[in-house]
Amino acid sequence: MAEGTGEVVAVPASGAANGLNNGIGGTSTPSNNPLSRKLHKILETRLDNDKEMLEALKALSTFFVENSLRTRRNLRGDIERRSLAINEEFVGIFKEVKEELKSISEDVQAMSNCCQDMTNRLQAAKEQTQDLIVKTTKLQSESQRVEIRAQVADAFLSKFQPIPNYIHNQYMSFLKPKNAVFISEDFFKALGRVKQIHNDVKVLLRTNQQTAGLEIMEQMALLQETAYERLYRWAQSECRTLTQESCDISPVLTQAMVALQDRPVLYKYTLDEFGTARRSTVVRGFIDALTRGGPGGTPRPIEMHSHDPLRYVGDMLAWLHQATASEKEHLEALLKHVTAQGVEESIQEVVGHITEGVCRPLKVRIEQVIVAEPGAVLLYKISNLLKFYHHTVSGIVGNSATTLLTTVEEMHLLSKKIFFSGLSLHTSKLMDKVELPPPDLGPSSALNQTLMLLREVLASHDSSVVPLDARQADFVQVLSCVLDPLLQMCTVSASNLGTADMATFMVNSLYMMKTTLALFEFTDKRLEMLQFQIEAHLDTLINEQASYVLTRIGLSYIYNTVQQHKPEQGALANMPNLDSVTLKATMVQFDRYLSAPDNMLMPQLNFLLSATVKEQIVRQSTELVCRAYGEVYAAVMNPINEYKDPENILHRSPHQVQTLLS
Amino acid sequence: MATAPYNYSYIFKYIIIGDMGVGKSCLLHQFTEKKFMADCPHTIGVEFGTRIIEVSGQKIKLQIWDTAGQERFRAVTRSYYRGAAGALMVYDITRRSTYNHLSSWLTDARNLTNPNTVIILIGNKADLEAQRDVTYEEAKQFAEENGGFMLKVNIKMGENVEDAFLEAAKKIYQNIQDGSLDLNAAESGVQHKPSAPQGGRLTSEPQPQREGCGC
Ligand SMILES: Nc1nc2c(ncn2[C@@H]2O[C@H](COP(=O)(O)OP(=O)(O)OP(=O)(O)O)[C@@H](O)[C@H]2O)c(=O)[nH]1
Ligand SMILES: [Mg+2]
Repeated sequence: MAEGTGEVVAVPASGAANGLNNGIGGTSTPSNNPLSRKLHKILETRLDNDKEMLEALKALSTFFVENSLRTRRNLRGDIERRSLAINEEFVGIFKEVKEELKSISEDVQAMSNCCQDMTNRLQAAKEQTQDLIVKTTKLQSESQRVEIRAQVADAFLSKFQPIPNYIHNQYMSFLKPKNAVFISEDFFKALGRVKQIHNDVKVLLRTNQQTAGLEIMEQMALLQETAYERLYRWAQSECRTLTQESCDISPVLTQAMVALQDRPVLYKYTLDEFGTARRSTVVRGFIDALTRGGPGGTPRPIEMHSHDPLRYVGDMLAWLHQATASEKEHLEALLKHVTAQGVEESIQEVVGHITEGVCRPLKVRIEQVIVAEPGAVLLYKISNLLKFYHHTVSGIVGNSATTLLTTVEEMHLLSKKIFFSGLSLHTSKLMDKVELPPPDLGPSSALNQTLMLLREVLASHDSSVVPLDARQADFVQVLSCVLDPLLQMCTVSASNLGTADMATFMVNSLYMMKTTLALFEFTDKRLEMLQFQIEAHLDTLINEQASYVLTRIGLSYIYNTVQQHKPEQGALANMPNLDSVTLKATMVQFDRYLSAPDNMLMPQLNFLLSATVKEQIVRQSTELVCRAYGEVYAAVMNPINEYKDPENILHRSPHQVQTLLS
Repeated sequence: MATAPYNYSYIFKYIIIGDMGVGKSCLLHQFTEKKFMADCPHTIGVEFGTRIIEVSGQKIKLQIWDTAGQERFRAVTRSYYRGAAGALMVYDITRRSTYNHLSSWLTDARNLTNPNTVIILIGNKADLEAQRDVTYEEAKQFAEENGGFMLKVNIKMGENVEDAFLEAAKKIYQNIQDGSLDLNAAESGVQHKPSAPQGGRLTSEPQPQREGCGC
């Protein structure tokens, strides 16, 4: 505040302040001492704080530039004039503002009118639409209801009516005249649809829509029957065209068979039609192969080989085997999508039907071959071939009694029958004219021929295409058919001979049979039997040979007497022809035998075909001779028999004899 | 197999020949089943398999007859050469005897098939290189001299098996294309069928049908 006071002090110097104060002071008259009050007031005035005053003074200083009396006198007027001018200016300006405001006010008024108008109109519109909205709401709910009904109807239709366009045409075609049937993918779609509707419609019958249900059902049944009939006719004519050697089963036909399995009768008729078409194709192909052969004649027609029975029959059967396999493939293609039970069986059945046609031409030809009697061996081979093909073809057509299999089996049996009757005829002829054994006691020519035949038959059997077990049964039959009569023939033929001749002849014949059989399988039993018979005759020959030797050297009588001697007969030395002189003479003969035993063989032994057999006879007969000598030696050495100086009579011990002879 | 397996335009008939044990049945099995049979019994007579292949965009069905190599079946198997369009003649590279017998197999093949039959020579068991008994070169020369193809095959590993069947089919197809194989002739070993349309319009007139003569 001290500073403020300082500043205030300087102010009184200013005349303007004084003058102003004067003016003010002049209008009011204080009660007690106005002047002092005025003064006080002035003194107390804080000019620095009074902004108005400062502004006034600043403004004053702009025009009050000359401080003179005149100016001081005029100051008041000046200020008032000035104030007036300013106010006038102020008024002018406000007038403009006033005009502007007035215009704005007018605009706002107009807007307000406008709004009022709009509000009124909206109100009116609202009143008008109220009704419409109510109506619309009602319509909307109605439309929803209708929509639901439409959906139900649609669902019903799509379930029970074959509407779609692409199949509609098919319905038309179901009902068209018979001959212009065109079966395609769409047909089956349509048929499937009809079938489905027919099934689905059963649901309706359980609701209260029974009339509709029955109607639709009836309609579908009718459509189905028409469709199946058309399909059957189509498939039937399609099958009729399949008469080429190659047989392309179109996918549509395959599908037709799938569809037709719902109508077993039509399905079966179609298969029959197929079978009939293929049957005549196979017959034609077979006849062509028989008579025409391949392009340019190679391969040559099968009939060109009719002079070669085995090849002829083999070629025919191989052709049929291949045709059967192909036909089965065709059927598998035809029925590959059929799901019904027993497809495999019906395939076999139809293959049987297809191959039935060739049976007659086949049978006629094979019969011709068989009846012409191409010889036992060929007949046998043909019979084996037929058996082989029976087996092979049954692998394709199964074991069902197809005519082809029956025919092949029949031919097999026929060829076998003729083969065996040929064999029996041959062997029975052997018995009709039994020859005497040849001088060399070897096998007779009849035996040799028959064994040759047997060998050929067995050889062809050995290389036969028939499996082992099937062969074995035949074998037994062939062997008994040939061997038993042969044995009889040999026995009869030998019956008029002496013992050694008979035994030699029999051993030779049996030996021939044995060596023939030994080359083949399944002959073990027979070989064993032959061996027994050979051994029986061998024993005879061994004994014959031994007694031959003993007789030749004169030991036979002595040996017999020694064997039969009884003690009560007295000493051997006293028996007739057993004296030491006779014994000594016999020993001379015996020594000659010991030095060259081979010179003392029966002539028959040299006719033996087998060297081993001969050796065996010589060895065993020698043993018998040794044993006989041994017994005689023992008797002579025995003091009971009263030989004097017995070592001088029989100067060789049995042991020495044995060593010399072995 | 899913796409209509019976849609093919030709059927070619093949035979497989060669000594026993060279691998003929394995070859067929490998081709039709794509599997190797380690112990395969001797074939009795003949066996049979099929497969569809494609040559030059044509579907061809191969009907393959696998014959027994054992001598005792020779008379039977000879009847199957008739009407073969292709013959696969197989030997075993580890057994010279099977190679030496080729000329006899070839003679049979030439005499019993038709002149257009395509013959392919196959040397099998190429995996047994250590036991090789017949060189590739001499077999190739044999094939060239006899106008056939030579292929080295390893059935065990499935190598070149496809080729053996395809090569023959290609050559047969080529013969058809240049007209040297007459499809109309019987027993050409090839059957042709124009691809059937997906359904057929039929007249009510039944197709004329040739009755087989019933002699
Ligand atoms: N290591 C080897 N062995 C093979 C091959 N191919 C076949 N084999 C074997 O050879 C043997 C005979 O094969 P198969 O196919 O039965 O012979 P095959 O020619 O049919 O004989 P047959 O029917 O008697 O004529 C079998 O044991 C096979 O495993 C091969 O590529 N390599
Ligand atoms: Mg085999």
